[in-house]
Amino acid sequence: MAVSLNSVWKTYGEGATAVHALAGVDAEIPSGEFTVILGPSGSGKTTMLNLIGGIDDVTSGDLFVEDLNLTGLSSDERTTYRRSTVGFVFQFFNLIPTLTALENVELVTSLTMGNGAERAAAVLEHVGLAERLDHFPAMLSGGEQQRVAIARALAKSPPVLLCDEPTGELDFETGRLILDLLRRVNREESQTVLLVTHNAAIGDMADRVLRLRSGSIVEDRHNANPIDAGELTW
Amino acid sequence: MTPLHHKLLRDIRAQRAQFIAVIMTIFLGVTLFAASYDSYQNLAASYESTFTEFRFANVTMSGGDVAGFADVARQEPGVDSVELRTVGDVPLQVGGLKLLGRVVGMPPDAQPSVNQVRIADGSYLAASDTDTALAEEHMADHFKLAPGSTFEVLGPTGWQTVAVGGVASSPEYIWPARNRQELLTSPDNFAVAFVTERLARVIVGTDGPNEAIVYYIDGVDDEALTDLLLAEAATRGATVSFARDDQPSNAALSEDLKGFEELALFFPMLFLAAAGMATYVMIGRLVHAQRPQIGVLLANGFTRRQVLSHYLGYGVIPGLIGAIPGAVAGVVLARVITGFYTEMLSVPSTLIRFYPATLLAGVAFGLVASILAAIGPALLASRIAPAEAMRGSAPAGRGRPSIVERIVPSLRRLPVPWRMALRGIERNPRRTLFTVLGVVLSLTLVLVSWGMLDTIVNLMDRQFVQIQQEDATVYFAGPVETDDVLALQEVPGIAAAESVLQAPVVLVGDDRYESILTTFDSGTAMHRFFGDDGKERPLPDDGLLLGGAMKGILGISAGDSVQLSVSGYATEARVAGFIDEPLGTAAYASRTYVETVVGATLPATSALIRYDEGAVVDEVRAGLVEMDGVAAFEDANALYDTAQKYMIFFYLFVGVMLLFGGAMAFALIFSAMSVNIAERTREVATLLAVGTERHQISRMITAENMMVALFGIPLGLGFGYLAAKQAMASFESDLFAFDLYIRPSTLVVSALAILVVALLSQWPGLRAIGHLDIAKIVKDRSL
Repeated sequence: MAVSLNSVWKTYGEGATAVHALAGVDAEIPSGEFTVILGPSGSGKTTMLNLIGGIDDVTSGDLFVEDLNLTGLSSDERTTYRRSTVGFVFQFFNLIPTLTALENVELVTSLTMGNGAERAAAVLEHVGLAERLDHFPAMLSGGEQQRVAIARALAKSPPVLLCDEPTGELDFETGRLILDLLRRVNREESQTVLLVTHNAAIGDMADRVLRLRSGSIVEDRHNANPIDAGELTW
Repeated sequence: MTPLHHKLLRDIRAQRAQFIAVIMTIFLGVTLFAASYDSYQNLAASYESTFTEFRFANVTMSGGDVAGFADVARQEPGVDSVELRTVGDVPLQVGGLKLLGRVVGMPPDAQPSVNQVRIADGSYLAASDTDTALAEEHMADHFKLAPGSTFEVLGPTGWQTVAVGGVASSPEYIWPARNRQELLTSPDNFAVAFVTERLARVIVGTDGPNEAIVYYIDGVDDEALTDLLLAEAATRGATVSFARDDQPSNAALSEDLKGFEELALFFPMLFLAAAGMATYVMIGRLVHAQRPQIGVLLANGFTRRQVLSHYLGYGVIPGLIGAIPGAVAGVVLARVITGFYTEMLSVPSTLIRFYPATLLAGVAFGLVASILAAIGPALLASRIAPAEAMRGSAPAGRGRPSIVERIVPSLRRLPVPWRMALRGIERNPRRTLFTVLGVVLSLTLVLVSWGMLDTIVNLMDRQFVQIQQEDATVYFAGPVETDDVLALQEVPGIAAAESVLQAPVVLVGDDRYESILTTFDSGTAMHRFFGDDGKERPLPDDGLLLGGAMKGILGISAGDSVQLSVSGYATEARVAGFIDEPLGTAAYASRTYVETVVGATLPATSALIRYDEGAVVDEVRAGLVEMDGVAAFEDANALYDTAQKYMIFFYLFVGVMLLFGGAMAFALIFSAMSVNIAERTREVATLLAVGTERHQISRMITAENMMVALFGIPLGLGFGYLAAKQAMASFESDLFAFDLYIRPSTLVVSALAILVVALLSQWPGLRAIGHLDIAKIVKDRSL
């Protein structure tokens, strides 16, 4: 199992002001599955992704990713986990403006595999940016920036890819291209993809849809025949 | 309080570390200003009050027709009083020590109408006191003399015992200088005793007075009257004449006052500039981070003026918090400094006042510096377009390789973290510039103060080690033959002795200059002469060697002739060249040259001696002072040792300045570093999210910051050197030649110290990386 949540709670604040972002969530996500997590604002979907990504702590319960229990890991252990196990794709790309597309990716590969310039170039080529290696983020379109971000996440070949509203900043066409890319990566590399969005239409391309409301999973649906990203409309 | 006021205070609380750094810098700047400026005012007022209370002479004339001069002076409408007195430099023997001291004649029973003294102990001289003296306070302190003690004075009839009737301080000897050429004296070498005029004439061996002193109505200086009287003194054959400003003690004190005045301007300006920069960087970042909030404020009807004044508040608050206590602390500190100083110098009248203007000016300076710094960012905030601001993301910067990568393309093969550090430097040029300026200002502060110390140490070394080669000076009771001087070499422990003739001299070129002419043997081994070019030159037999300052004063060049008068004898002499000596502006000549000019064989008034290696100084001294004809003994090392003792104050001063410089560097660099880290919070959070370890991020940021600091080092060293040179030049006069000297090790240690401070100042910012809320930041659009 790629991801396993057993009665996971995440509470912010305490006493009367306590807010339960996740309220005893149970979920099992097998390896290689493309899962879309849907829900309105405040439903807990980003919290769930952050917990799985190891950038936030569970309040109680057990959270396993690739058989590693994240509960109670030290800061250094979580850093190692993030480096080896998960890749992030953010809504706002979060590229480093002073580095070129290649260097943004290389920064990550150099961390994980020493000098990873070749790997970085290969991944960028894979996401269709072979001609844009030496471009700085300010010279790239939103879609291209998000592709660099995806390449950055993929470069270290993490078993789990976590995408938080990856199309939130993109127009419809570019959004579909990015989703198509993510799906392709999922199929070709057999990477587990968890994609958080409030756009219900995206659920149609997923193997599975988890719908959250007020910190609880209110729907867990498997798509027998997921459609191609290119066929999505919203 | 309005909600905006709450916002202002809470924002400051949220960024308290940066605000505290700015407040501390303003506090230090204002404290320095108020302390040094009030000390300057207090000291100047104390001196002025002393001068008025004790009727300090406006003009003094020595030698020549002093009685005639006094008659003329009395007729001048602006003159209040004129006194005639006898003053003479005579050997004194105090507690077994023979030294060349001074006796000053005073009217009995009542204080003179000019140059009065303050009786610190005992009583003033009475007509019946035939063998009584008032010991000048420095002398009394050093030799522990009190009423009832005795010392001896060498008069024409031999040694005469004098009883101490009291201890007195005088406006003439606040700084105990023998003359303008000998401002630095040691109590072992120079002491002053006030005796009745009658006794003074007996000791000096004269029938009439040899000095006239003039006091103007209310003591108020009148330049035209002074010029007139000095011209009169010159025509009446004065060997020494000077206005109050040039009186040796007062001239030395004026140099000191100038130091406080410089301190009151230069150092506070550095601190306030630093505080201003830190404030600018900090508020600039705040405005950038609060763009969406500013957009909301404007969209909801707040006027641009309200936004402007709100963000000006971020300058006003730290300005007030730093400046008010800073001004109060400075005023209090000034009282301590003045009290300590006037006590150390035995200033007869100490005035410690409260100057409200200093307090207000201190607060105003602090406030103005911080408001000026806040204006730019506040104006920017007020001009923001609301719609654009509320969208959150600020315009993205244009990415490109750094300048160094473009110049040296091979640098593009550096590991990515290094490239990132290189480009980070150019990313926010303003922040980089301020960090560099911070390093430059800090180094300037350190170098100016440390440069002063190095220069003074070098000055002492140059004067007492490189130039003066004698170990001691032996003064004779009267003129002696050169053979008598050579006989000194027979005394056990003395390796060499050379005869010297010293006399007050007046040199006349475009202007006139009073100095001391010292005649050495040709090829003397007791004194070395260095030209303007720093090269050593021999004492010529075809003319005079003059102190460099005379070149400008007399308007002469090497090869010219000057009018020279010594003890009433006037002649023309050739100027062979100029020399560079740090203390005084003296005239030197070889015995051969002077004898040729005057056409007679010269006697010696003193001898310069050098000890045998391993000689016991006290034994040599004891042997010498017992000799007939030896009137006084002056140990060359005594003055040097005394000066060394005073060096502790310089070390303290430099220590404090280093501390202040370190604090300023820390505050500035800390502000810049904090902003550097705050500006890239999202990047850091993203790097953490992708698994970069904290120490790797710290290393990247440290590399970038240290590169910027390193860039500032050569600039700081250069600027600091120039500033130190400028500061030293302001003390330059015919009394002192302060050629800036900074040891190479000072430059290295200062640069390293600032780099260490820069390294340490990152620590809080780098620690904050560990507490970043990664989940929140990577999702936040406004960062």
